[in-house]
Amino acid sequence: MSEHNPDTAFAGVSRLRGRIFGSLAKAASWLGVVVLAWLLFMVVVDAFGLTAASTDWYLGALVGFGAPLATYSAYLYWKRPDLRWIAVRATVIPPAGLIFAGAIFVLFLVFEPFFWFLYYTIAVLPAVAVYGHFATRDDTRAPLAAGFVGVVGLVIGYFVEPLILIMPLPWIMLVWVLVVPAGALIAYRQAPEDRQQQVTILGTGVAGGVLASYLGPALIGVTPDTAVILYAATLLPVAWYNGAVLANDRSAWPGLLGPVVALGAIGGGIVLGGLVGTTGPEPVLDWQFLTSAPSTLPANAGLFPAIVGSVFIIAIVAIVSFVVGVGAAIYLEEYAPQTGVGGTITRIIRVNIANLAGVPSVVYGLLGLGLFVNLIGMGLGIVLVAGLTLSLLILPIVIISAQEAIRSVPEEVREASYGMGATRWQTIREVVLPRAVPGVLTGTILALSRAIGETAPLLMIGAATTVFRPPTGFASQVSAMPLQVFYWSFHQKSAFRELIAPAGVVTLLVVMLSMNVLAIYLRNRYEQQA
Amino acid sequence: MEESTTGDWSETGLDESDGGDRDIEQIPEAETIIEARNLDVYYGEERALNDVSMSIPEQKVTAIIGPSGCGKSTFLRSINRMNDLIDIANVTGELCFKGKNVYDEDVDAVALRRQVGMVFQAPNPFPKSIYDNVAYGPRIQNDTENLDEQVEQALRQAALWDEVKDRLDERGTDLSGGQQQRLCIARAIAVDPEVVLMDEPASALDPVATSKIEDLIDELSEDYTVVIVTHNMQQAARISDKTAVFLTGGHLVEYGETDRIFQNPRNERVEDYISGKFG
Ligand SMILES: Nc1ncnc2c1ncn2[C@@H]1O[C@H](COP(=O)(O)OP(=O)(O)OP(=O)(O)O)[C@@H](O)[C@H]1O
Ligand SMILES: [Mg+2]
Repeated sequence: MSEHNPDTAFAGVSRLRGRIFGSLAKAASWLGVVVLAWLLFMVVVDAFGLTAASTDWYLGALVGFGAPLATYSAYLYWKRPDLRWIAVRATVIPPAGLIFAGAIFVLFLVFEPFFWFLYYTIAVLPAVAVYGHFATRDDTRAPLAAGFVGVVGLVIGYFVEPLILIMPLPWIMLVWVLVVPAGALIAYRQAPEDRQQQVTILGTGVAGGVLASYLGPALIGVTPDTAVILYAATLLPVAWYNGAVLANDRSAWPGLLGPVVALGAIGGGIVLGGLVGTTGPEPVLDWQFLTSAPSTLPANAGLFPAIVGSVFIIAIVAIVSFVVGVGAAIYLEEYAPQTGVGGTITRIIRVNIANLAGVPSVVYGLLGLGLFVNLIGMGLGIVLVAGLTLSLLILPIVIISAQEAIRSVPEEVREASYGMGATRWQTIREVVLPRAVPGVLTGTILALSRAIGETAPLLMIGAATTVFRPPTGFASQVSAMPLQVFYWSFHQKSAFRELIAPAGVVTLLVVMLSMNVLAIYLRNRYEQQA
Repeated sequence: MEESTTGDWSETGLDESDGGDRDIEQIPEAETIIEARNLDVYYGEERALNDVSMSIPEQKVTAIIGPSGCGKSTFLRSINRMNDLIDIANVTGELCFKGKNVYDEDVDAVALRRQVGMVFQAPNPFPKSIYDNVAYGPRIQNDTENLDEQVEQALRQAALWDEVKDRLDERGTDLSGGQQQRLCIARAIAVDPEVVLMDEPASALDPVATSKIEDLIDELSEDYTVVIVTHNMQQAARISDKTAVFLTGGHLVEYGETDRIFQNPRNERVEDYISGKFG
């Protein structure tokens, strides 16, 4: 024991088992990644008909696409490394704005512009005004007062809506509902103090919206309404970002060329590929696919009704599962008794929620069928039933993740709030929820991205696999992207199985991945704040 | 200090009711702000406070010392009913604040805590701006007429104003530990409470920050009643007017003038504890 042998004293401790475990874990992770990547690769190849293109096309496209991009990157890398992130953001904003415009477009498809116009004017706007009035005076009753005004507005709107026969042109309503608030927000953010400048920014923004409604139809052949939506969701954010960057530092303009270069690269790739190549790719997933209805001819088939259906279902699921789920989580964590008989019941409920999260989705479909269709008597396969059923499906996941997030708020911060004489509700609202928001949001969005891919429960509640028109209200027959893909993958014609279905899969995956990216973005953003 | 107060404080001898193992000085009713009468606290089956009776004088600093686990925090938390938050905690006996038993049915614990502020062992600012941290109390009480002045005054009283006045919108959690604790003190006094309870407020701080907090407590006692739990005997001796010594099992064993307790403890176990023989 007491012998000191200088050779063996520091000879090392065996780490063999740890190394083996580490390597196995690494291998398993890589296996998963590779399998997934291979699957993605195959569907992308099919969806865009990449096998049809000849080698010289690829060469041409690569040069056309790569040359501008490489030049620009090299320039940024060596000359202006400070502009790197500006360039990335500037490039991301336009496509994100386009996606956003698509979402707004679908919402206006489902409810007419007049619906938004009425409730925005009569409920949202007064509520925001009241909130601002109280909040600037630091009055904590602000949310309460705003909520009250909002609800009153909703009720009035409900009764007034059928009485109104004359209404402004749709694009004017859109300017009022979308462009004015967006412009006001930009004005407030860019010049919080300067009234004069605020008016200028708002005025310019609104004038641009009006201009867009005239230029849009003339230049790119869209309706004035669509032009206004595109303007509000895409052009305004781009103008805002560019303006803010330039106002901060005039010499930063090369960073703002990002989107132009990206567009040029894509165009260059297509043009050069077409010039050099003997045969190009034959993409199935194109504009036509995204905007037309299903068809018996593979060449005409599209996913549009299913996309709108999915967006609509997800909107219901998002609202229902968020409100109910977060409410339930707050109750279980902050209000429910933790000791005695009540505590036992609370524990039983908790355990059962965890169990429910594991119940197969087909069973939820049966539940939805029994509850909403047979018992309550809603229609088979309609939007509302689909949304509510999928809400039930992900509710346990939302509750559990919200519970985790609420539980992770340190007890000390809660005690600090109670020690100041805060009520339970004040503590939850001021201290617990702000800290729990990133977790709650991440959990909810991940659960939503699961809901958007669900097929079985929708089949159980009688949703059609194929509908030819997008839903127009809560009671419309609806299909969804996974249902449509499911149908195509069993079609007799091989073109549907081999080309159209992969295109649907890629669309579905893109939507899901964007939702997950959004979740990650939100989490990072709030985590920096908290 | 001894001379100035001997006339005011009547010292009774041993507390006859409990086997003579305790030495609790009484103070005249008029100056008492908090009074415990036969206070017991149980956590489930476990008894954390055992028949504690003591009266705490107004606008003085009262220190509570004793070995770990003897119930100091429990006593402090029973003053502003923070034990309500612990499901298994059960309080019997009386705790009077300005003559009113706070455990009476008609007392709202939330209203009570607005008059009895608390500073915790570990600095626990909210993840909000410095300004919002201090403004938290006034805001939840809807007392926001002169919010800016209230915030400034509280920060000045907590000796933090000069360090943070140019960055009030930075996060409270980004300050140093000592600054955070002073921020917590500012937050507690922003609503102008009658009493400030402090549970080992300096135990996580270095000597410089500690001495700042001690100076601060000294100044606070001009306006507020301060009850402070501390593990640091020198600190208790330096800053407090009265000292209560709790020993294991939740017994209050000796209570009296700080100088007297440290120079001339009457109880043998207290003497052992103060001289470091156990604890
Ligand atoms: N939340 C709780 N649940 C159960 N028992 C508790 C709880 N808080 C304290 N106790 C018990 O009550 C007794 C007194 O605890 P308390 O925290 O009051 O001691 P303390 O004197 O403050 O100790 P320290 O100096 O270590 O902070 C201890 O035995 C402890 O185990
Ligand atoms: Mg303690």
